[in-house]
Amino acid sequence: MKILVPVKRIAALEEDFEIRDDGRDVDGDFINWDLNEWDDYSLETAMQIKEAAGGEPEVVVVTVGPDDAEEVLRKCLAKGADRAIRVWDDALEGADQLAIARVLAGVAKTEAPDLILAGVQSSDHSHGCTGIALSALLDMPHAAVVAAMTYSAGDAKVRVQRELEGGMLHAVDVSTPAVLTIQLGINTPRYASLRGIKQAAARPIEELSAADLGADFASASRVRRMYVPEKSRAQMIEGSPAEQAARIAEIIREATGA
Amino acid sequence: MDNAASTATTSLYFAPEQITRVLFEGFASSAIYLFYIIGIAAIVVFCHGCYVQVRKYRRGAGDTASQAQIKDRLVAMVGTVLSHRTIKRRDTGAGHAHRLIFFGFVLLFIGTATITLEYDITARLFGFKFWYGDFYLWFSLVLDLAGVGLIAGMLYMMARRGWIKPPKLDYARPDREPGDPDFDRSGYRREDWAFLWALIIIAATGFVLEAARLVWLQDRPEVWTLRWWSPVGALLAEGMRAAGLGAEGAGSLRGGLWWFHGAIALVFIALIPRTKVKHIFTASGSLMFRDPLAAQRLPKTDPDAPSVGYAKITDLTWKHLLNLDACTKCGRCHEACPARAAGAPLSPRDVILSLREFANDALEKQSLPEEAKLDIHGKDVGQVFMETLWSCRTCMACVEICPVAVEHVPIIVQMRRKLVEEGQMEPLLQKTLQTIHKTGNSFGESKRKRAAWTKGLDFPVKDARKEPVDVLWFVGDYASFDPRNQKVTQGFARLLNQAGVNFGILYEGESNAGNDVRRVGEEGLYELLAENNIATLSSAGFKRIVTTDPHSFNTIKNEYPDFGGKYEIVHYTQMVLELIREGRLTPDRKLGYRTTYHDPCHLGRFNKEYDAPRALIEAVGCELVDMARSRDNSFCCGAGGGRIWIPDPVGKDKPAQIRMKEAAQIDGLEVFAVACPKDLTMFEDALKTTGNEGRFVVRELIELIEESMAPRQIAEEAVEAV
Repeated sequence: MKILVPVKRIAALEEDFEIRDDGRDVDGDFINWDLNEWDDYSLETAMQIKEAAGGEPEVVVVTVGPDDAEEVLRKCLAKGADRAIRVWDDALEGADQLAIARVLAGVAKTEAPDLILAGVQSSDHSHGCTGIALSALLDMPHAAVVAAMTYSAGDAKVRVQRELEGGMLHAVDVSTPAVLTIQLGINTPRYASLRGIKQAAARPIEELSAADLGADFASASRVRRMYVPEKSRAQMIEGSPAEQAARIAEIIREATGA
Repeated sequence: MDNAASTATTSLYFAPEQITRVLFEGFASSAIYLFYIIGIAAIVVFCHGCYVQVRKYRRGAGDTASQAQIKDRLVAMVGTVLSHRTIKRRDTGAGHAHRLIFFGFVLLFIGTATITLEYDITARLFGFKFWYGDFYLWFSLVLDLAGVGLIAGMLYMMARRGWIKPPKLDYARPDREPGDPDFDRSGYRREDWAFLWALIIIAATGFVLEAARLVWLQDRPEVWTLRWWSPVGALLAEGMRAAGLGAEGAGSLRGGLWWFHGAIALVFIALIPRTKVKHIFTASGSLMFRDPLAAQRLPKTDPDAPSVGYAKITDLTWKHLLNLDACTKCGRCHEACPARAAGAPLSPRDVILSLREFANDALEKQSLPEEAKLDIHGKDVGQVFMETLWSCRTCMACVEICPVAVEHVPIIVQMRRKLVEEGQMEPLLQKTLQTIHKTGNSFGESKRKRAAWTKGLDFPVKDARKEPVDVLWFVGDYASFDPRNQKVTQGFARLLNQAGVNFGILYEGESNAGNDVRRVGEEGLYELLAENNIATLSSAGFKRIVTTDPHSFNTIKNEYPDFGGKYEIVHYTQMVLELIREGRLTPDRKLGYRTTYHDPCHLGRFNKEYDAPRALIEAVGCELVDMARSRDNSFCCGAGGGRIWIPDPVGKDKPAQIRMKEAAQIDGLEVFAVACPKDLTMFEDALKTTGNEGRFVVRELIELIEESMAPRQIAEEAVEAV
């Protein structure tokens, strides 16, 4: 029994930040890196399945990212993951979600997990499609936005409750192997103590290049520009109705250039 | 006619050898043998009991630090025990009574041992006798007085338990519900009374026995003439004679009583290691291995150890196991604990007693029980609840007042380390720890904003990483990021600037000092923070450090040295006082406010600075009125030990509110002065929630000092303007 948990190192922005010179991303100086919040929940889901089964199922975390991305894998190891894999290739710089899914599919083919637990989305780019693309590439059934689930290691199917709009839940049985994207709040992620993280620093992280996987990781999209839209303004107009009306008329004149 | 005053001269009429006391007179030799058999049996049981106890302590973890300087430790312990310094604190009555019992018991023990020494050793082996003559007479007098002291002390203790009933002696536990298997503490109560009665009966029968002997031997002049050297016995003997007791009757009374007295005394001795009486040894031992910085400098952990903190009873060091047995349930910690006062499920006393019961159950047996039965965390009998551990504010009130040097706070933090390792904590606390890891501060603000408060000043603040300064100011999280505290922080900068102090700060190079992170039990994060700060500090040039934050002050002063960061550091109150005394700051307007001062735990109890803040209050011309609980008995605001990051339960008075109500009792109070950023936050909040807003104000001392200097500045500017 094996559970694969794809995780992402996400960029958390400082309050004040600047856009990179090429205008396609935020300047790295203004970024705090962290483990994607959704992935905290998907890893916890995996850990709970592992622990309920007496620790036998293997939990493997994988990320696609440069050297620095190892820190999120260490955090996962500190929380109890058995193995960690990092895939990178300079050509993956700026890769889109489909390319990432293709790389992950390559890993999944080698690892042959019984269950893949991804986060619903990443908190920086918010495409919300890497997990789903992965299921398509692997030709596996999937369930998205899983808010609750019942599954014991080795079960032939996983019973999930998906979160729908309007507060509804969608109860679905999915046969395994399957890809699930896990929603926030499904559990309470455990704390990784700094001691645990430090100790995890001594554990090996398997490194693969995209070429090792023989995967085709072409992106299907390209970022043109990242920018902060001009803020629209709002103001409270005070005073008597007549004063308010006069002010509104003035604003309209300004806006229309009359 | 007998004349008591003439006994000393009367003794001249007898050969000194005659003046002694009968021991086994009138006993058949078989009876004497029987007595020796019982006596030896008692000693064997006593020794075996000691062995079991020592084996229990040895089942704990090692503690090499405590084994250093044994001689100094011994001298200090003997001094503490003889002076009763720690026992009389905050309970003079109990202190005096205990002193009577202690010295009475010690003298009576030495007396009995002296007889054994002569009769069984020196006389038997070397034919040397000394227990006669004047020595014997003085011996009788001293022992009689010792007996009186012992009984008087015991009677007070009985009155205390039976009638005075101070609340701290109520064994009701805040961490268990009535009906829980370990809620009932009546066993302890029975033991207390059994102890009191046993000692008082031993002492009382001793006197009656003495009197009976005197009456029995009234015809022997060397006994009867000198009887007033045993004043209590003689008085009772007169009474017996007046009641018509003759020599023969007294002889048989003596025979029966002799065995009764002897038997209880020997049973008492045999049971010492198995009852509360063992505190004679355990409390002395605990005092001997006292760590004067127990709460101020928490123990380091081994980064490579497979686990961390106290998970099992055998993880406790032998010293902490000894601490558990040293506790005499005096309740001083129970009384002082702010968490207990605020209705939290924590009493330091009960944590110690729970662990003691657990240790006695698990570690006194021939062999250790299986690993799983050694887990001290949980909801079972003797285990400590997670809620109990998280209730602690590590304010050190318990450690400070404990008369026998029990280290409650280090034990609690060690247990928290285990909880942190397992993630058993409030989600909000978990989030704060992650935030501190990510941003280096508990506010989750960008590092860049740490020095944003300097923008409000009309002079630049030096970056100590870029140019050497005399004084490096370690600002701390609350003083840096909390908007209310930023005003005070700017005020201190103005004071330094005005006094011409060459100072600088570390800007974004500073991280949370880690004091509270360490007290939460997140040792790994603490190490990271401490190492980061030490690295930054070592890159800066300065002579000494100043901080307005007592928490940062404590950890930099007492804990950073363990990580290689040895610095001279002062609290701002000490530095401002210095500047005033040097004439570099002149608070010339007398404010005249009726002011009380709240000693911050980390400045007062932790680092014993009680006077500098009070001198500042005097310097600004305020009238200081201390609250009932001040200085070493200051009552924590509730923010320590990471509790500022954990919400308090609603519907109960928080420690800060209890403190505000205490201050509000001072007639005409105008200012509640603090010298700690967290205090300012906690108490301004509590001022509002206790409805005291408008009655008096909470002020940082810095604000009072600035206020007392402001008019002159304005006056000077006005003069210049003219």
